[in-house]
Amino acid sequence: MAPVTSPQPAAIENRTMTINMGPQHPSTHGVLRLEVTVDGEVVTKVKPDIGYLHRCFEKYAESLGDYAKVVPYTDRIDYVSALHQEMGYVIAVEKLLELEVPERVEYMRVILAELQRIASHLLGIGTFGLDLGAFTPFLYCFIERENILRILEKVSGARLLYNYLCVGGLMRDIPTDFTSDTWEFVTSFRPKIKELNDLLTTNSIFIDRTANIGVLPAEVALNYSASGPMLRGSGVSWDLRKNDPYSIYDRFEFNVPVGQGEMGTVGDCWDRYIVRVREMEESLKIIEQALDQMPGEGDVKEAVPRRIRSKEGEVYVRTETPRGELGYYIISEKSGPYRIKARTPSFVNLSILPAISKGALVADLVAIVGSIDIVLGGVDR
Amino acid sequence: MVQTLKKSWTTFKTIFTGMGVTMRHLLQPSVTLRYPEERDELPSGARSKLFVHIDDCIGCKLCERACPVNCIAIETVQATKDVDLGKTSTGNPKRFWITTFNIDMSKCMYCDMCVPPCPTECISMVPEYEYSEYDRNNLLFQFSELSADKVTEVKEKAEKEQEEKQRKKKEAARKKKAQKADQTSKAKQKNSEG
Ligand code: SF4
Ligand code: SF4
Repeated sequence: MAPVTSPQPAAIENRTMTINMGPQHPSTHGVLRLEVTVDGEVVTKVKPDIGYLHRCFEKYAESLGDYAKVVPYTDRIDYVSALHQEMGYVIAVEKLLELEVPERVEYMRVILAELQRIASHLLGIGTFGLDLGAFTPFLYCFIERENILRILEKVSGARLLYNYLCVGGLMRDIPTDFTSDTWEFVTSFRPKIKELNDLLTTNSIFIDRTANIGVLPAEVALNYSASGPMLRGSGVSWDLRKNDPYSIYDRFEFNVPVGQGEMGTVGDCWDRYIVRVREMEESLKIIEQALDQMPGEGDVKEAVPRRIRSKEGEVYVRTETPRGELGYYIISEKSGPYRIKARTPSFVNLSILPAISKGALVADLVAIVGSIDIVLGGVDR
Repeated sequence: MVQTLKKSWTTFKTIFTGMGVTMRHLLQPSVTLRYPEERDELPSGARSKLFVHIDDCIGCKLCERACPVNCIAIETVQATKDVDLGKTSTGNPKRFWITTFNIDMSKCMYCDMCVPPCPTECISMVPEYEYSEYDRNNLLFQFSELSADKVTEVKEKAEKEQEEKQRKKKEAARKKKAQKADQTSKAKQKNSEG
């Protein structure tokens, strides 16, 4: 019998390993799969694999052949900020059909959109904290978000997918206690932002986990055509509500918060986070002004056409959603829509991930994904 | 050294600030509900389940056409002349038997698009949300109240009337043709005479 030789110990080489993060990973905010190549603990390459939530929005919208029927589908593009998706779409169709919308409707849309922005940012911040191990702020954010959802439910009848805006107006009349409810929310929410700052913003552990992590220089952000808090976090002051006002945003006074690198470098995760927090305060300001100026009377269905007669034409409308620039590009024919394209901010912002996560630790990758604040419905459509 | 101490102090301080917030929340009344023992009241107009007052439906199919996912299926049969289906509570005359009115709630996306077009306001959302089923087929809600026998009866009747109408129409058309031919031949005669 031949003597048993012990196997030669393999030489320890520096090998990289490919691991999967998602699609069922608690910190990917949905069904996102990341193909991560790691060298030990350090990420060398990230490849987002998307498409798990693809629902053929564009093709389906074109096949419906009716502009009004598309609105409930736009809700489902980005279900966390459904009203913004509707708003962009109805503004695009109104521009195509050259419809005038009553004042009251415009104000209502702005108030709802800003409420939705706060709700969306609360969710974004809450889950960002959750990714980093802070469970409490997540729950407190959800308490506040619940108050907003209640207002929206009273108005539209649904909590998440509102289908409240329609081409030319609103689906339902505004409830009588809407103004008082919103005022109540605005006054009660202000102190909560301070509470959130105490819990998260100034927390030293949170700062250690986010400052100087996932730094996105302004130039890179612009090259990738990032938008929203992602771009503003890098110090670029670009907000469509200010720079290219749609609806009636030119009537309100508000600031555009940008990242200043207070805790680390400009464009790190903390900057993106703080931009969202400060934007909530600005949204409150807009809501207050809009509530003051909103006409008390008026028929919200005045300009709603009974049947939408399609027109030949081509429009592109971009609006500022909580995640950035949402664009709708519509080519219309006499018979109906020929092409409806949605440019969603989540998709564009996610494409930056490989560029900014090189060299980060795996744990930091979680923080970076959280700070981009993507919604997979928006990425895949 | 000083740096480290400073850092430790801020960490300590900020953690306790956060803890303070949590403590304050601890003393506040709870915001959660123990469902199903406690439940929240839905606001009026909440969208959770469709309901149709079939007595008020005139069979105009506007709701069917408005639905983006085609989950409403309506079939109607025109009522024959000898029956009067009466009027709806809103005063619209009813002219159709509704032989089928099915809503597939498993397909419905609660978008509320079918409700506003209804001229008699008979299709509406009701605040009822606990109707999940083990079998998907149980979510097909059938609102038509006609029995199968009745459906065949009215269908036959309507067909007969339709046939009758067709026959009459044809006859009338034939008569007209004959008349016309008559006239033209007369005119020709006149022409040739003249
Ligand atoms: S609520 Fe929407 S999806 Fe449901 S039946 Fe009505 S139109 Fe169709
Ligand atoms: S719109 Fe109303 S009346 Fe017309 S078919 Fe539908 S439920 Fe009946």
